[in-house]
Amino acid sequence: MKQAITDGVEALMDYIMKNCLWQFNSRAWDRVEQNKNILEKATQIMCKEEVAKETPMERCYWAEAQTMVEEFLKKFPWLQTMDAGDIKEMMAGLKERLDYQTITGSLNQELKDPNY
Amino acid sequence: MKEKHIIFGAEKVLKDNIREAFKAFPHIKRMTIYQTCASALIGDDIEAVAQEIMDEMPEVDIFVCNSPGFAGPSQSGGHHKINIAWVNKKVGQVEPKITSDYVINYVGEYNIQGDQEVMTDYFKRMGIQVLSTFTGNGSYDDLRAMHRADLNVLECARSAEYICNELRKRYGIPRMDIDGFGFEPLASSLRKIGLFFGIEDRANAIIEAEIKRWQPELDWYKERLQGKRVCLWPGGSKLWHWAHVIHEEMGLEVVSVYTKFGHQGDMEKGISRCEVGALAIDDPNELEGVEAMYKLKPDLIITGKRPGEVAKKIRVPYLNAHAYHNGPYKGFEGWVRFARDIYNAVYSPIHQLAFLDISKDEIRTDQSFVTRKMLSDSQLSPDIVNSTVMREYTGEFDSLKHLRDATYPQFPLQGKLAAM
Amino acid sequence: MPCELKAKERTGVINPIFTCQPAGAQYASIGIKDCIAIVHGGQGCVMFVRLWFSQHYKESFELASSSLHEDGAIFGATHRVEEAVDVLLMRYPDVKVVPIISTCSTEVIGDDIDGVVRKLNEGLLKEKYAGREVHLIPIHTPSFKGSHVTGYDVAVEAILKHFAQKGEPNGKLNLLTGWQNPGDVRTLKHLMAEMQVDANVIFDIEEFDAPLMPEGNHVAHGSTTIEDLKNSGSAIGTIALNRYEVSKGAKYLEEEFSVPAVIGPSPIGIRNTDTFLQKVSELTGKPIPMSLVKERGIAIDAITDVAHMFLAEKRVAIYGNPDLVIGLAEFCLDLEMKPVLLLLGDDTTTYPDDPRIKALQEKVDYEMEIIMNADLWELGNRLQNEGLKLDLILGHSKGRFLAMDHHVPLVRVGFPVFDRAGLYRQPTVGYEGAMLLAERMANIWFADMEYTANKEWLLNMW
Repeated sequence: MKQAITDGVEALMDYIMKNCLWQFNSRAWDRVEQNKNILEKATQIMCKEEVAKETPMERCYWAEAQTMVEEFLKKFPWLQTMDAGDIKEMMAGLKERLDYQTITGSLNQELKDPNY
Repeated sequence: MKEKHIIFGAEKVLKDNIREAFKAFPHIKRMTIYQTCASALIGDDIEAVAQEIMDEMPEVDIFVCNSPGFAGPSQSGGHHKINIAWVNKKVGQVEPKITSDYVINYVGEYNIQGDQEVMTDYFKRMGIQVLSTFTGNGSYDDLRAMHRADLNVLECARSAEYICNELRKRYGIPRMDIDGFGFEPLASSLRKIGLFFGIEDRANAIIEAEIKRWQPELDWYKERLQGKRVCLWPGGSKLWHWAHVIHEEMGLEVVSVYTKFGHQGDMEKGISRCEVGALAIDDPNELEGVEAMYKLKPDLIITGKRPGEVAKKIRVPYLNAHAYHNGPYKGFEGWVRFARDIYNAVYSPIHQLAFLDISKDEIRTDQSFVTRKMLSDSQLSPDIVNSTVMREYTGEFDSLKHLRDATYPQFPLQGKLAAM
Repeated sequence: MPCELKAKERTGVINPIFTCQPAGAQYASIGIKDCIAIVHGGQGCVMFVRLWFSQHYKESFELASSSLHEDGAIFGATHRVEEAVDVLLMRYPDVKVVPIISTCSTEVIGDDIDGVVRKLNEGLLKEKYAGREVHLIPIHTPSFKGSHVTGYDVAVEAILKHFAQKGEPNGKLNLLTGWQNPGDVRTLKHLMAEMQVDANVIFDIEEFDAPLMPEGNHVAHGSTTIEDLKNSGSAIGTIALNRYEVSKGAKYLEEEFSVPAVIGPSPIGIRNTDTFLQKVSELTGKPIPMSLVKERGIAIDAITDVAHMFLAEKRVAIYGNPDLVIGLAEFCLDLEMKPVLLLLGDDTTTYPDDPRIKALQEKVDYEMEIIMNADLWELGNRLQNEGLKLDLILGHSKGRFLAMDHHVPLVRVGFPVFDRAGLYRQPTVGYEGAMLLAERMANIWFADMEYTANKEWLLNMW
């Protein structure tokens, strides 16, 4: 991966962990859904693609993603200069990082609770 | 309950109690009954008693929560019990009157010093109907109608994520976690909710007006609190609500966080919000807390009332993380009130006097008083001290009074989520 | 008879006046030096009591919990007590006294705390802590009996039973203070010092008003030592100030060690303080000195300034610990006031035998109600639905909403008082207490006069 992309992943990751709450739902399966849907929609927004926001759940994921992207753009001006290909690569890297941090690598044992 | 009831059971006594209570307060028709250690251990069937009364008195409704003290390691177990009991037994029993296209439940909000009133004011200004608040300043029957909301807006995930999760599973209502503390998080939260309903322009208008009004005051305190060391030691979730934002927006160094009854998830969130080098402790005991305080030497401790007394004894001022000092702390104005309380605690001249040992230290006789600004402004640049933009807090002692008479814009109903 | 003693008619309690027994036992334990009690029950039994104390004193007190969990409720939890004792002794090298206080959960499941104490004494203490002085004292205080008042009584008895010894007569006078504030203890010590009596104050809680010092960590703590408790058996007498709070302990010392016991009166008001000093003088042979005559004179002088002009005819309701309530009622009568409602907050059955209550029943010449097993709704209901007219209420802070809703000034006395600053530092006993109480009642009445525009101009010319 290009350095700019790696740096980008770190910067966005730091922002999400310091400011967002959507990645902290209480079960592993829930976090899988949250991470996937919100980052997918964020990527679509950043690449100016169509975003599905019909059902309430989709709309909620979209609102999270949209707010987050607006904040990214304010805080990280270098995002404006990235092309769609690089953005997608960066966001894929971000998802990998986030999934590790909050799901597969997390020490939180409650994530495995079978109830709910 | 008395000793004879332990042996012979107390269901009759409970029934008498319930009848007497309703008789004493005839205008009240709703009741919650909490099981405790004694009644749990003797196996009284409180549900059955409650049902008998409801059959006798059809205008009355009773909620029973089985949460004896020994059943969990902390109050967190009790939160879980009541969340699950409420959604199992009461949600869905009342059909509410829908007055807006945008309907939310405000969950995990307990109206500390009026926090809930502050937040519902923003929602109402956006034309959102707050169907129910779980549970601060909330109403029993509203909470029985939770199933009719479009969105669950969740503040305290620690105590109320359970009911949000269940409502999502059973009724498909999405869960959106927000933060009413701090300018950025609060703005982001209002925007998110606005986007969900397609009314983000209303959110933006509120945010713009509020920031214009209060930013100069927050900035005044931020300049004076830079680098001050804080231990953020609440019981539950405030460690993650506050750790990052008080650093960003007030310049404070959070040297330690802890949680007493928080779960692993709260620790995850709290640690994510901290800077490198902060000390995170899980449910410390008295000795550990004191050891940490001596080691870290903070300028301020934000914690509960009783641990705050311990902090006071080693000459560290404290602010009440749970019941606040001069709140509310949610909202834009509330956040400035929090900054002001922190400033007043850290720069208290009387607090400084506690460090002087009049039997050994030199006593200054040329100074008959010291002001907070003398303490806080001595190292600041003249530009900051003389700024004409920044100013101290100009709100009232009771910042909620004007909310009580407020009128709200009417947005006529257009049918379900017309803007979507 | 216009003064009636009756029990509350309702079965249930609405807005209780008292909390439960373990709180009383915990209050007794914090009065002892180097003492940390372990409360055997759920954590709430300790956490909320510590908070309650902390609200009243604006201080933190050390108490531990055995933290009973669900498995304990089924299988028993005495092992948790064992673990708790071990950890406590390890982490607090100065702790010498560890009361083990039971709660409703552990009494219902029948955990044998006496057995655990025996086991620890024979086992852990001999093996791991040999050579260290440790006193484990089981105290049985289920919350479904009595109230914090009886819990305190039970605890004091258990503590004295454990420690009191027969030694050489030491000429001391045991003063079982009952549930007092540091201001009260300071005043009692002052009275004893003036009488040149060597008083053994149980419990000496003057240090609860702990300072903010330039160095170190001066947590609030009790000052009664193990020596003091042992010495109680060799005293020349015991005065148990509050009949419902310390008579068990006093009677034990009398039966076991022939230490003559005098029960009461609570030295609230001038007359009761006179009687108290008389009893002290009888027990010790010491005369009452001129300095106290003068102190009494200052108090009476101050009180007469406010009594017949302002306090006469004032109708008051009083609630709180029973000895406090009765003592205050008696004092109010001397001040020409009219206590019309006394609330005794638990189901103690011996109230009808109390000579002070009988005296009230016989001699009070206007309508007074004394309600046993009362709760705050007895007061609230009368104010709201039965047209009760009151000028003042004397009681603790839990009645504040009642007072505010019905616009009756509340003079804070008793426990807990958390919505006023510093009242624990002011005595309610002794001559000083009587004087301060009368003046405070007057001053609160004066402020009310001003806020309600009720002949406040009277004070212009006072």
